[in-house]
Amino acid sequence: MDLYIAAFGFGLVSLSVIAIAAVGFTMQFGITNVINLAYSSVMISSVYVAYAFNHAGVSIWLALIAGAIFGAVFSFLLNRVLYTPFQRKGTSLLGMVIVSLATSLMIQNVLLAIAGPYNVSYVQPSGGTIRLGAIVLTVVQVLVIGIAVVLMLAIHALLTFTRLGKAMRATAANPTLARNCGIPTSRVIDVVWLITGALCGIAGVVAGMNSDTFAVGNGPGYLITIIAAAVLGGAGQPYGAMLGAVLIGEMTELSAAAISADYKEVVAFAVLVLVMVLRPQGLLAKRGALAAAG
Amino acid sequence: MHPGALLNLRRVLALPAIAALSVLAACGSESAAGPTDHSQLVVGILAPFTGADAVLGPAYYAACLPAVRVINAAGGAYGHTLTCQKFDTRGDPADAVPAAQQMITNNPNLMVVVGCTSDEASPVVPIMDRAHVPHFCMTGQSEFNKSSAKYFHRLVPPDEFDAYAMVGSALFKHNFKKIALVFGNDPGSQAFVDPATKAITALGGTVTINQAITLGQPSYRTEVTKMLKTHPDVIFTEALGGTDATYLKEVKTLNGSMIPVMGTSATIDPAWFSAVKDAIGVQDLVNNFTAVDLGVSFSGPGYTEFKTNLDASKDQFADAPKYSQRGSTLHLYDGIIMTALAMDLAKSKDRTVYNPKIIDIGNGTTGAVEYHTYKEAQDAINAGKAVRWVGAGGPTNFNQYNNSQQGYILVKYDTSGGEVQYDTLSQAQTNQVITAGGG
Repeated sequence: MDLYIAAFGFGLVSLSVIAIAAVGFTMQFGITNVINLAYSSVMISSVYVAYAFNHAGVSIWLALIAGAIFGAVFSFLLNRVLYTPFQRKGTSLLGMVIVSLATSLMIQNVLLAIAGPYNVSYVQPSGGTIRLGAIVLTVVQVLVIGIAVVLMLAIHALLTFTRLGKAMRATAANPTLARNCGIPTSRVIDVVWLITGALCGIAGVVAGMNSDTFAVGNGPGYLITIIAAAVLGGAGQPYGAMLGAVLIGEMTELSAAAISADYKEVVAFAVLVLVMVLRPQGLLAKRGALAAAG
Repeated sequence: MHPGALLNLRRVLALPAIAALSVLAACGSESAAGPTDHSQLVVGILAPFTGADAVLGPAYYAACLPAVRVINAAGGAYGHTLTCQKFDTRGDPADAVPAAQQMITNNPNLMVVVGCTSDEASPVVPIMDRAHVPHFCMTGQSEFNKSSAKYFHRLVPPDEFDAYAMVGSALFKHNFKKIALVFGNDPGSQAFVDPATKAITALGGTVTINQAITLGQPSYRTEVTKMLKTHPDVIFTEALGGTDATYLKEVKTLNGSMIPVMGTSATIDPAWFSAVKDAIGVQDLVNNFTAVDLGVSFSGPGYTEFKTNLDASKDQFADAPKYSQRGSTLHLYDGIIMTALAMDLAKSKDRTVYNPKIIDIGNGTTGAVEYHTYKEAQDAINAGKAVRWVGAGGPTNFNQYNNSQQGYILVKYDTSGGEVQYDTLSQAQTNQVITAGGG
């Protein structure tokens, strides 16, 4: 039993990292209508920007902020320079997927040329461990959980209580109507890319802190889990992505405890497929903050 | 016109044609006086340069650079200068097959290919064999123990021998009886599991847990917790690409301290050292980690020539000097040199002609004298002497299946990542484990 309790505790860390990343990814899609497969490449790029700061003597927490700023600016520029011109030309959703996939490959290969294939680590304080019964977590992992909780609450507050959040929801529901109602949708979309890019950067850096070592090759691995969480919860729905992250994060850890490490992803993705069969629109479709009225 | 006049005219026209054909033939032939064709040839490095096993490709690239430097400085292989070219397999058979096909199609001047790890050897060896491209593979897969591929060469033992050496080290040298097997779920790493399990069980040890872990995961906390509950004396591992770093850091965190860890020869690698050192700390790595490695002395004139030229290659590859004690780098360097000498011996750049000569150079023919530097060996060949190459990695002993192996040393790291030999397995101990494992 202790093993399952411990696995549940580890799942909290995993789901925290996934949630930060998946909420950013799903908001990008929900509001801007771009399935951005370059998300994981921006994520791993942010990891390395934070690494550069960290190894220049900057504390990991300040490096985290640098990674977030880089993720925000990079994502903003990616949309302005690349995605928006394609969208203006009327490129289909599938076409945009291909564009983002090509962008992802380009970013990864440029990063590979710069950073090399080797695994590297942040310089971060070990900070000791915290034991809660069978659950054993490091101080850094507890802080990662804390960061995720704060960010999720902030996203909830943004979407629920602010004019910007309402403008985002209006843009997501019907951009043409929102524009006719006086909402500056292009500016809203710019802000969405900045916010989701920052989430992407933070997710990358906390993933790097959590795993202790990372390489450029880790990027594609992130994407699979992020998409799984986003789709499981309902594509485009931030609360759905949070729920999806909880399910994916916990299922992978608990199945590793119950069966074998070989099957932990198999079990998690089998549940994803099952949900898609029973509820193709995802668990929280039409119920999330970005859902269209009615 | 008189018929005789026509015949004379034909004779007159035939003369320049014959002369022209003679010139063309001379251009194409590889005469005993030396080649007239000095075109540059390619040494292909077919290996993972991206993906989970991306650390492997650079070690093989580091073998090519000094070899090419040595050969070109001596005037080339049978007059042909060489260049190194990377072909990325991503460590995945699905990517390796098109990479190998493109390499062969786009490079008719391919001289030899090195690399082809266990990740991709199975699908790419037949492709290279069909194309008559000599290749030196860093695969330990047992399917190549008796390979019928004529162009395949292997200078490392089968993987199961790595596993046997680890078992011998654990049981005979350290008295570890309870062993956890933690290997990556890639084919190359999984090749160790069955022979290790058989040998451990047959010699009275216990496999406490066998974990095939997915490479590149952000965390293995649950797997580590499960493993620690089995209370092993030692962890056997090969999980590359940062996976061991993440796993072992979590072992240290969740156990409160490190437990002994033993790695395969692939874990004696600067990239592996760097990643794990950063994760668990250099002192814990030095104190708790041992490995098995190919029996290489890292000394002698062959090694000196290799090391000098490896260090000089840092302009092309900054990390090259880090591979000075990587067994696979040394062996592939020797493979390229042997192929160049085979060309010198065959006096041909035709791969079908010089491929059989590689064995003659590696094993030496009757009356052969051992040479350790390329220039001296080349001069001896040109003087008509029989040559046996004993280079950076020591002597080669190809069997009928083009496999060569030299036994194992037991090693650990020093604080700067250098390899330190601390013991060796006797032949009797090695044979005992091999027999127990069914090898």
